[in-house]
Amino acid sequence: MVRFPGSKNSTHHHPADPLLYTELLPTVWCHGCGIGTTVHAFIQALKDSSVEPKKVCVVSGLGCTGKISTYIKLRSHSAPYGNVVGRAAELKKENPHWHVVVFLNNADFLLTGARDFIDEAQKGTDLMVLYINNFLYTLNKTQAFPMSPFIRKSVDGKFDLPFNIPHLAKTYGARYVARWTPLQSGWLKHSLSEALFKREFGVIEVVSPCLMFSCDEGRIQDAGEKMKFYDDRSEFCYGENTENLDLRKEGKIRVGLFIESGRPLQEDHS
Amino acid sequence: MKYEIHILEERCKGCGICVEICQADVLELSPEANEKGIQVPYPKKPENCLNCGMGEMFCPDFAIYVWVNDDEEEVRE
Repeated sequence: MVRFPGSKNSTHHHPADPLLYTELLPTVWCHGCGIGTTVHAFIQALKDSSVEPKKVCVVSGLGCTGKISTYIKLRSHSAPYGNVVGRAAELKKENPHWHVVVFLNNADFLLTGARDFIDEAQKGTDLMVLYINNFLYTLNKTQAFPMSPFIRKSVDGKFDLPFNIPHLAKTYGARYVARWTPLQSGWLKHSLSEALFKREFGVIEVVSPCLMFSCDEGRIQDAGEKMKFYDDRSEFCYGENTENLDLRKEGKIRVGLFIESGRPLQEDHS
Repeated sequence: MKYEIHILEERCKGCGICVEICQADVLELSPEANEKGIQVPYPKKPENCLNCGMGEMFCPDFAIYVWVNDDEEEVRE
């Protein structure tokens, strides 16, 4: 086998290695999936911000998004189906000085966990919700659920109008609302470090359509094409009114930071 | 060289995001597959590297990073 200069026998370590279970890598997600890039942005945000890793707790649920807590070497917690935000709020109540980060997917959020989300948003609990929206439920394409795009329908021919997540979060009182795609990884990193710093209820939506959508049609199969898709479709709308942000019709994905009205960080509780 | 590109071959999945995202045309997928059947990228023109950090930031498997060699000065034509 050909040995290329500079690619073998590296004596140094990856900068993110202290926060990872390195023996589990590579990750299980598909080529071009946005979850891995989101996790990398989160780890870089932790390194950039002044937050101590000992005080960060990661809570995730089930599915592909639920595997995130397996790889990160922090306080991590895997909550049962539908109770992710509720469990995170309990952890926060017991340990007020922790930064609790919640990774949500569609099943955890909109199908059974929506009540907890709304409760905690109204109370203003200090949680950071990172919602990875893959437009898919239980890895099949025939079942309708609250985030199905309007252009698709289930086997029964049923249409469901998808939710506008930034608007829902704003309506129930979230203090920090943003939406990005994995292509805007640098902005996502900046948003994450800001939301970690501010200690209030923040919602960041990552629009990362699952590759299952187009795998059988052979359209998007590699990661480069996926990045080009995000580049063609995303449109920056900084500070846009959240009513205009629905993904209902086929068109541009509007990304940006929409709501930032929080109090500055009071110095740490400890 | 000022910027050393390190690719951890045992972590790479061969998705090619780093090759696609690199603006300085540093990386390329290797023509031969390794024992896992993965075409791991290699630094084709390492002298072009700008240390922008994009390839490192986008890698979902934490397999590539740039190490800055402080002893040497940056040489650019």
